[in-house]
Amino acid sequence: MPGKLFIRRRDGRVEVRLNDAGREVIRQIFAHVVAAERDPTHDWHVALLAPINPSSDDDDPLSTLARQNEIATNAELSIMTLNEQFLNDAEAWAWLSTLQVGLRSMAVVNGILSDERLEACDRALLEDIRTIQQLLFELAACF
Amino acid sequence: MASVKPLRISSTESEVQSEVAVVTQRVWNVVVWNDPVTPMTVVVVVFKRIFGYSNSKCTQLMLKVHHEGRAIVWSGHRERAESYCVKLQVAGLQATVEQDG
Repeated sequence: MPGKLFIRRRDGRVEVRLNDAGREVIRQIFAHVVAAERDPTHDWHVALLAPINPSSDDDDPLSTLARQNEIATNAELSIMTLNEQFLNDAEAWAWLSTLQVGLRSMAVVNGILSDERLEACDRALLEDIRTIQQLLFELAACF
Repeated sequence: MASVKPLRISSTESEVQSEVAVVTQRVWNVVVWNDPVTPMTVVVVVFKRIFGYSNSKCTQLMLKVHHEGRAIVWSGHRERAESYCVKLQVAGLQATVEQDG
């Protein structure tokens, strides 16, 4: 049975047991989220613009700005701590949030909006999605 | 006549104010929508972290999202509803706000 990738230690920190290849996978997702937040032409950018109040023509600008800032802050904190062996609680939460934002962005831009579309999607894409889901599953167990 | 006018104006203002008060007191719901990729455990920990709900309540809400396609996870004033919605979106869940009724 393979060991866990993330372990919550008694002192509250989360130990990251990813090898270089695993960290590279995560680095790419974090980098995509940062780029998507900054670059309106990035494929994932549109996925970050989901309406807060769909019944209104425009969302409250303050809410939109708050969302933009928090997503960018989480993603930047995640990249800064990418090579750490131990994460504090806020850092581990930033990793979880950024991975989940990346996963949903990947699904949205590829039109994966149902279980059927997920099963029918490209094999390489499905493998990427399953990898992120596994990372999220293990990291979520620390909370 | 002069003494009647202010009374009529005051009465009209009072009616308008009470109508505005009724509108702003309507409840807003925070809705979380199902999607095919988010792991169930992530939904549970996000609910727990943002709302501080118990494990069983978070699991019930997650299952409602999974089986019914959506669930109302919080209701109350508009500003707080939007704030919670932003927190859920920042955590990567598909969330919106809607006015009750």
